[in-house]
Amino acid sequence: MSSSAPSFDVAVIGAGAMGATAALHLARGGQRVALIDRGEICRQASGVNAGTLTLHMTRAALIPYAIRGRELWMDAVNWLGMDVGARAAPGLSLAFTEAEREMLEKRAAARTAMGAPIRLITPTEALAIEPGLNPSMIAAAFCELDGHVTAYLTGRAYRKALVAAGAGVFENTPVTGIAPEAGRYVIRHQDGGRTVARRLVLAGGVWLETMLGWLGIAVPIKCLVNQLIVTERMAPVMRSVVSIANGLLSLKQFENGTVLIGGGWQGLGDPVRGGVEAIPANLMGNVQLARHALPALGESRIVRIWLGLESESPDAMPIIGQLPGLDEAYVIGCVHSGYTSAPYMGQLLAERMLGNEPEMPLFDPARLIGKLEDTH
Amino acid sequence: MTVSPESGAPDVLVIGAGPAGVEAALAASAAGLRVVLVDEAAAAGGQVYRAAPRSFTGMTATPESRLGDDLRRRLAESAVETHFGHLVWSVSLGFRVDALAEGGPVSWSARRLVVASGAQERVVPFPGWTLPGVIGLAGATILLKSQHMLPGRRTLVAGQGPLLLAVAIGILKAGGEVAGVVDLASRGEWLATGAALLSRPDLAARGAGWVAQLHRRGVPLLYRQAIRRATARGDDIEVTVGPVERTGGPARGRERNFTVDAVAAGNGLTASTDVTRLLRAEHVFNEARGGWMPQVDAEFRTSVDGLFAVGDGAGIAGAAAAALHGRLVGLAIARELGALAPADHATQSASLRRSARRAGQFGAAMAGLMALRPGQVAGIAPEAVVCRCEDVTRREIDAACAEGVRSANQLKAWTRCGMGPCQGRICGDIASALVARHAGTEPRAGMFTGRTPFRPLPVAQLIKPVDYAELELPPPAPL
Amino acid sequence: MNESQPAAPGRCGLREAAVRRGAPVRFTFENRVVEAYEGESLAAALLAAGWSALRDSPNGQQARGAFCWMGLCQECIVVVDGIRQPACRTACRAGLVVRKGTIG
Repeated sequence: MSSSAPSFDVAVIGAGAMGATAALHLARGGQRVALIDRGEICRQASGVNAGTLTLHMTRAALIPYAIRGRELWMDAVNWLGMDVGARAAPGLSLAFTEAEREMLEKRAAARTAMGAPIRLITPTEALAIEPGLNPSMIAAAFCELDGHVTAYLTGRAYRKALVAAGAGVFENTPVTGIAPEAGRYVIRHQDGGRTVARRLVLAGGVWLETMLGWLGIAVPIKCLVNQLIVTERMAPVMRSVVSIANGLLSLKQFENGTVLIGGGWQGLGDPVRGGVEAIPANLMGNVQLARHALPALGESRIVRIWLGLESESPDAMPIIGQLPGLDEAYVIGCVHSGYTSAPYMGQLLAERMLGNEPEMPLFDPARLIGKLEDTH
Repeated sequence: MTVSPESGAPDVLVIGAGPAGVEAALAASAAGLRVVLVDEAAAAGGQVYRAAPRSFTGMTATPESRLGDDLRRRLAESAVETHFGHLVWSVSLGFRVDALAEGGPVSWSARRLVVASGAQERVVPFPGWTLPGVIGLAGATILLKSQHMLPGRRTLVAGQGPLLLAVAIGILKAGGEVAGVVDLASRGEWLATGAALLSRPDLAARGAGWVAQLHRRGVPLLYRQAIRRATARGDDIEVTVGPVERTGGPARGRERNFTVDAVAAGNGLTASTDVTRLLRAEHVFNEARGGWMPQVDAEFRTSVDGLFAVGDGAGIAGAAAAALHGRLVGLAIARELGALAPADHATQSASLRRSARRAGQFGAAMAGLMALRPGQVAGIAPEAVVCRCEDVTRREIDAACAEGVRSANQLKAWTRCGMGPCQGRICGDIASALVARHAGTEPRAGMFTGRTPFRPLPVAQLIKPVDYAELELPPPAPL
Repeated sequence: MNESQPAAPGRCGLREAAVRRGAPVRFTFENRVVEAYEGESLAAALLAAGWSALRDSPNGQQARGAFCWMGLCQECIVVVDGIRQPACRTACRAGLVVRKGTIG
């Protein structure tokens, strides 16, 4: 690994779904790729998120990407080589108050304008789709392009595909710094080893701030600590993906009968310590909402509560593209509903790096980076 | 310096009312501290001194039952505030402890937290171990001691460690039949614990008496043997037993079948580390003391400020050591919080330490017999279910490892092993040992990440339905 | 293990004879009457009545029963008056309506 010629064409630092997708397409495009992660592949946000493929809660500007990402997840058997549990399901967003109804209408309008097939429906229509819902809802929105993926299967699928594509997968390999040299990047490992690559992709999620710092670039990355809750298996109680207009609930039941409750309620944690602990009041609130939306959950038992770290850029839009002021260094991350879009976003970046024009615009990192000071 | 707690908040909260927890609570309380003791059971005693239901009478007293009754009496006479029937499901740093009782959720704050959560059983999987009627050795102990009931009319007792004889004798005393005692260890390995047995001549003599009793009753004692598989035969279970090597894996030799209606099988005790894992305390691995256990200093402080772990929950050492160590913890906390003068603390703890060392010797010898051996893991049949909740077999675990799994947590993500209602508490140790064989990190490949709740939480008990308008909601997500 | 027809109370003789238990109570399991004693755990009472299988496993639909007897393994889950709970941690009371813990 420490020869004078770069051993790799591309080093991707961070093996979440974004980095793994980019690495996969680059490897299949003929690049010699090293995918490096301090832990195991797809075990952070990509492996612990709720797997919701909803368009209801996706930022309006990202709808076209999410639609494409969803299609890719549904088709994972073909391009990724393994079924990761992607299942189409109708998506219902509910309103229980007038304020929520207003939010519902605004969200639906903004997303419909970007191509999401979302329409407002009556509570009666919603109950016909999902009989177990709380009939006290006053309005609902329906999207036929919804569904879910089993996030924890992601790592196994990507690892297999990456190895088959000839990529080097280096798990449990913490990186401590990157030294740009002429025509290459020397990536320093914690154990004293090095990886040398001509080109670099930073795909570190909430750790992007640290990684960009290795290159002298300062972009503050916000870290959300999202709480997730799963029940033990239950008899079928729902068939759709359910959310509430206030954005504080996501609810779905997997084929194995477990129900996953999300909604972005916060726990305690940070990029250094990871997700540390759930906040009991937030746990209660999340479960209250879930039970209110689907009363049958009153019969369930909660089996596990965990936390996942989600990254957000200063303007809440993705950071995807080439880094200014450096030679062949790229970044990908900070995408809301990033898991949904990851198969597409990673592919777009790889396309760009392989010399093709990506079919959708990327998200220029330069907008967030101040002019680099001259140092004399 | 003693700082008065906010009114209502205890100085010390103790989780677990076995001998370690009770003694810690009593010692801290005796020094004047306000102590709360919580346990999910209906009475103190933990597993080792588990009381029969209050409505039962006519039980024969045993040395254990006398110790248990004494423990409960001293606790009742003390100022310790007890909360039985309370299931602790979460702990946060600082500390906040959340529990579920009949009436709903309860929580406390305390400056010092003592985790005395005791041990749990480990059973090495074999095909058929999931059949109804196959129970753990410790499970059989609980059934006999606390319910005064037999596992079956005719039970095969198998595994390793001192529980084997205790369960076999317990079954005979309760009027049942023991088809055989199948012990992984050899007679020589038992004799080799001799020096340690001298530290508890009463228990040594009792053990010898048990062996003699089993011989008299014609119960076969099979050494260096283990269960290979169990098969349902109508209402009965046919158990196939075969010889093993010293390392615990199957050896060539004659198999033998037993037809029984119950099997009590167990392969050692391990520390229950739910709380210490959740709070991200440092853990150390010691096969001879049950495996993973929280790292503790001489006064049982973990690496987390204010958090103590003591008793079998800090590494298997037996009930006598647990009680003495519990007292040491109570005294240490009392000194720390200014309720006990350093000189008094030094005097009281010195003699405790001497007694604890002796008690620990016996406990350590017994724990050593219960230690998992590498051949036992290697010898798990491919078709044996490892994760009972999710029906993940050894074969599936090996396949995932062949594809690249290198840790217990990664195994969980790839196979669902450990994702069921028991959250890996039954399969975790074995699963980690299996992964370690592939990863080259023997004896284990980490522990499952600790998360809440410590037991499945019924939603209906956690929250009461509330008007939507009364829910306190954070700000909505941006459009 | 046979789960279709529980043995009549007392036939199994699993209760230690010398011990006197609390007041007799009756509850139902899968609509069959079970005679037990106050203070016993549901799992123990059911075992003594000949019911060692308390549910079917979700994946393999195999009969499962109490295993660890300390509320850890979740194999003895039954539904008591609508709430799922471990039978080994539930005390017998008169009139309980208990069903197998099979999902769905």
